[in-house]
Amino acid sequence: MKKVLRWIDQRFPLTSFIKHELTEYPTPRNLSYWWNFGSLAGIVLMIQIVSGIFLAMHYKADATLAFDSVEHIMRNVNYGWLIRYLHSTGATAFFVVIYIHMLRTLYYGSYRSPREIMWWTGQGLLVLLMATAFMGYLLPWGQMSYWGAQVITSLFGAMPFFGDELVTWLRGDFIVGDATLTRFFALHYLLPFIIVAAVFIHLVALHSVKSSNPSGINLADKDNIPFHPYFTVKDLFGLCIFLVIFSYFVFYKPNLFIMAENYVPANPMQTPAHIVPEWYFLPFYAILRSVPDLLGGVIAMGLSVMIFAAMPFLDRSKIPGGSRYRPFHRFMFYAFVIDIMVLAYVGAAAPEGFVIPLGQIATFFYFASFAILPFASKIEEKWLIKRGLPAEVEAMMQSEEAQKADRRQRKQDRRKTKRKDQ
Amino acid sequence: MKKTFGAFFVGLLLLVSHISLAGSSVQPLAKIEIFQDEETLKRGVMVYYNSCRLCHSMKYIRYQDLVEIGFSTAEIKKLRGRLTEKRLTSINSAVILTQIYGLVPPDLSLMAKARSQGPQYIYTLLTSYYEKSANIYDNKLFPGIRMPDIFSHSLALNPQEKTKTENKILDVTAFLVWASDPKAQERKSLGKYVIAYLVGLSIMFYFVMKRVWGRLE
Ligand code: HEC
Repeated sequence: MKKVLRWIDQRFPLTSFIKHELTEYPTPRNLSYWWNFGSLAGIVLMIQIVSGIFLAMHYKADATLAFDSVEHIMRNVNYGWLIRYLHSTGATAFFVVIYIHMLRTLYYGSYRSPREIMWWTGQGLLVLLMATAFMGYLLPWGQMSYWGAQVITSLFGAMPFFGDELVTWLRGDFIVGDATLTRFFALHYLLPFIIVAAVFIHLVALHSVKSSNPSGINLADKDNIPFHPYFTVKDLFGLCIFLVIFSYFVFYKPNLFIMAENYVPANPMQTPAHIVPEWYFLPFYAILRSVPDLLGGVIAMGLSVMIFAAMPFLDRSKIPGGSRYRPFHRFMFYAFVIDIMVLAYVGAAAPEGFVIPLGQIATFFYFASFAILPFASKIEEKWLIKRGLPAEVEAMMQSEEAQKADRRQRKQDRRKTKRKDQ
Repeated sequence: MKKTFGAFFVGLLLLVSHISLAGSSVQPLAKIEIFQDEETLKRGVMVYYNSCRLCHSMKYIRYQDLVEIGFSTAEIKKLRGRLTEKRLTSINSAVILTQIYGLVPPDLSLMAKARSQGPQYIYTLLTSYYEKSANIYDNKLFPGIRMPDIFSHSLALNPQEKTKTENKILDVTAFLVWASDPKAQERKSLGKYVIAYLVGLSIMFYFVMKRVWGRLE
């Protein structure tokens, strides 16, 4: 064994890699269970890929066969029902895990310097995940699959000048049809592997800047512990708890996340009374509908997903971290979460009566909470400094200030020497 | 603070599940319980076979599948008679049905899953016929439905007769629930073991974690 390892090490840095990234990789010891959701997302991704590959072995991407082939999987393939329910429940689980992961980042301010690249790769992953889920949802070829795709692809028609051409190009036909199904299937199979690659970039960034932690303060070396065994076992424990909950839904409530309407085969001649997207798109869908103008709505919806990327710029406070030492930040966080739930409700309800103004107010609040952040974070900072901060935060801010001053000094020096040279 | 954060997400989950369950309809659905014992299912098959099959197919169910709810091969043979189809097809052809009703009545194999609260919906649908005006019948749950009152539930003269048809409807509903998800029983019994195993594993990892973390400091 040792010999084999030595042989490999001479050709490939296996031992040093494991040491560096696992057994000696320093991790803050005060991470709470909210830090489990990153690795959970990775596991859910694996569940989706493996169950998806098995589904693809029996699924037929053909408008006349797709619906029947899913029922064939459910009824005749050995454990087909299990594979299919793992995959359909897995989609919901993926969004639950990712949304909690994002909310944790927002709450604790983990998006802040030096973790901007992590946050942006995460933003990219979110968009990829949404695209994958959206295309996957067409594949069972039920009524909701069909009309959901019809509505969402038609949004691209709002594009000025060549909207209609764009829609036709996306669908491969004038309406969603067989051509759309086959291309969505091809892309739905491809995107997860691109997600895997993007996750690697996300992880390389993580291992360069290391994990944030609940206090938001960079910890002294003595407060860091090796990832293995402490966090491998903690992640495994978290994973088991997750799997218990996940299995409950897979085995006992698998149809909770599949709309009844989607057990009716797609019928291009019959529009369902309410076209409702999957729960994980509801807040964004509500924003789309709350803007009276279609193009405006599409832009607002796109912006509502992408605006998270601006967080590192918007949060201008000098106080480190997120909500731990920043009561207003915490308040904003909870207000934002409530707002998202209101939007989800609006997205699910029929757009009539009080739902319309409610959606507009919630949409306004959604964007307002980003817009006021630069000012709010500054005001909060001043107020907190005046009130006096805990010593460790003070120290952290001073060291950061010193570093910044140092950098500025060096830059000036360089400029001076340059001038002298000339 | 951690606690508020946690409580918050439980609340969020509850709210979302509440929203996803909320549905509205004209007629409140009957609160019935579906029993899936062999006797009920077998009676349900017969109700489908003798009544609904006139107009409705169940294309995802093969005659052979009825073995799973306790039919013997001989019984199935007797049921089929001289029919050669492998699957449960309607007696009247699609062409004739379209001529009479203006549409092909929907396939029933997935019906119990294709409506929200499917079982309750089917039962309520079949028991909601009423005489709108002299000799004109309609349905409270589905006004203007093109399916006639098969069991003449709305015409029942006395309570006994009414109960009898309602029992029939319960039976056929139970069969439709089975047909929409024939693997449900297998799924639930496997689920017990999977979850028990995972709970055991969680407990084990919990103690391993305590031990490992106990070594700190
Ligand atoms: C005489 C023909 C006929 C018979 C027999 C019949 N149905 Fe129907 N059924 C129809 C027609 C026609 C429709 C379509 C109704 C419509 O869409 O207006 C229908 C629709 C349905 C629906 C769907 C309603 C909806 O929400 O769209 C259910 C459920 C149903 N039938 C159940 C049954 C059951 C159970 C039986 C046996 C007890 C049965 N039917 C027997 C003709 C029939």
